[in-house]
Amino acid sequence: MLKKEQNEYLTQTGPGTPMGELFRCYWMPALLSEELPEPDCAPVRVKLLGERLLAFRDSEGRLGLIDEFCAHRGVSLWFARNEECGLRCPYHGWKFDVNGQCVDVPSEPAESGYAKKVKLKAYPLIEKGGVLWTYMGPPEKQPPEPEFEFCTVPLNQTFSSKRIQESNWLQAMEGGIDSSHVSFLHRGDLANDPLFKGAAGNKYNLGDLSPVFEIAESDGGLLIGARRNAEDEQYYWRITPWVMPCYTGVPPRGDHPMHGHFWVPIDDESCWAWSYDYHPTRPLTDGEVAAMKDGKGIHVKYVPGTYRPLANKDNDYLMNREAQKAGRTFSGIEGIGMQDASLQESMGPICDRTKENLVGTDNGIIMARHRLMRAAKALVEKGVIPPGVNPEHHKVRQAALLLPRAANYTEGAKEALIAKKGVRQTSV
Amino acid sequence: MQSETARVTTARESSYRVQYPNSKRRDVKVVALDALSASLVDEVSREPWNGAKFFTSLSFSTDSAPGTTGEGLKAWLKDLAGAANDLVEEVASSDFVVVVTSAGEDARAVSLIADACALHNKSLVALVVPGPETTDAQISESMTHLRPFARMLVIASGADYISAMLTALRA
Ligand code: FES
Ligand SMILES: [Fe+2]
Repeated sequence: MLKKEQNEYLTQTGPGTPMGELFRCYWMPALLSEELPEPDCAPVRVKLLGERLLAFRDSEGRLGLIDEFCAHRGVSLWFARNEECGLRCPYHGWKFDVNGQCVDVPSEPAESGYAKKVKLKAYPLIEKGGVLWTYMGPPEKQPPEPEFEFCTVPLNQTFSSKRIQESNWLQAMEGGIDSSHVSFLHRGDLANDPLFKGAAGNKYNLGDLSPVFEIAESDGGLLIGARRNAEDEQYYWRITPWVMPCYTGVPPRGDHPMHGHFWVPIDDESCWAWSYDYHPTRPLTDGEVAAMKDGKGIHVKYVPGTYRPLANKDNDYLMNREAQKAGRTFSGIEGIGMQDASLQESMGPICDRTKENLVGTDNGIIMARHRLMRAAKALVEKGVIPPGVNPEHHKVRQAALLLPRAANYTEGAKEALIAKKGVRQTSV
Repeated sequence: MQSETARVTTARESSYRVQYPNSKRRDVKVVALDALSASLVDEVSREPWNGAKFFTSLSFSTDSAPGTTGEGLKAWLKDLAGAANDLVEEVASSDFVVVVTSAGEDARAVSLIADACALHNKSLVALVVPGPETTDAQISESMTHLRPFARMLVIASGADYISAMLTALRA
């Protein structure tokens, strides 16, 4: 459990809150590249960390993420014309560039210099790995670009999607490090999903339903090891990295692409669940990409034209009691992503952690919360840069491997846990 | 029409969740396995707890050295007041057991506690606390000793994590 104040501390990420300050230390995924496909395309509304913003690509392809509302009288610039290197407000014609700088106030003589006095808040927006990333903190503290492996491999080796989740970010992220739910909630999918099935390691998951856990801090966050019994005096280890504040990696299966998530707060009652899938050494096959686009694996099918899952709270997530009863799905909901989302949204917009009853195997969640609170406190009180800002902390990999029983996974899997260019993932 | 699920997952509906307590007090036993962790456990024990009991060492009779199981198990936990308490009885009256060990220290006594836990089907959480001078090899060694016995094995940052964890577990 958490005390009420602690729950509020961890779940509130708006401007001026301690966790809000913490999030504003990192580059975070803001949009998919496909959302701003070409120069002068339609601008896109973006809400992040409780701030309403607008993203656009100008005539020269430059990216901007600026305050959504016109500085003149507060009109949403979503209605603006994206033309000649800037967004022109359709109300009175004021124009803003990608840095938020007002460059034209038609009612005032250009020579008056009035436009120079007006500037909307703007954040940098960079493109990497098919994702547009932003940094919302003070410019003088802007860290080097993110180096997560999925965004540094060639574009034909990586695929990202995002879906809106109607819950606070923390309960979503906690699902990503809660390794003990997999044997229940996702039980049906190991054998059937095209992006999971067929891996040699799957038999250990299905053969030993009570994994034992080990948790260690890493420089950027945590390493959560789950081990199951395997033949020849070995253990089958699945190791999940968490990089602060909201990146998680799912341990791989066979030669399937590796996947994981980013959980990015939109406001305190909703977040973006980002899902990446990549292979370190080979292009994704057409079949894999087709499956990902079709919502298989950790991805979802959408309501057409949106990033809202097709199965959502408005249609009871297409609950199928018959499949639940027959055991084809454990919860009656189809697809790994929606199995998680449906339950996490059911906790309510902000989960009340004063009522929960955690057990020993929930230590991953306990430790993540503890690290987040400790880091936010050190940042706010002493200006200490939190773990996970340094791009070296991003170069961690998830792994699945067999180790002798006496071996320590933090050592036995040391190499496997480092992202190395051109080196295949460690997976069974 | 709005689905039932959409209607009940609003913030407003969250406020109607029943406010009655949904669990009873836990009996958690926290055992330090060496002198260094004893001082951490002693420090943590001073906070207000819901019934957690803290022990600073384990002693055993010579015919009950690590490896002894079942009826032959004769070992005692020393509480903060210095009194000896029967290990098996303490474990029997617990909901779960937490052991704390400093990296590199002798953690073999854990096997006796694990035996007592096995006897009464209690789960065991083991925390390894590295000191400022601890090497990776020492952490590794402690992990290797503890691995066969714990359902959850954690490398903890220090007393602050021990108390955060116990609070989270309503100890
Ligand atoms: S069993 Fe874990 S939330 Fe219900
Ligand atoms: Fe899940």
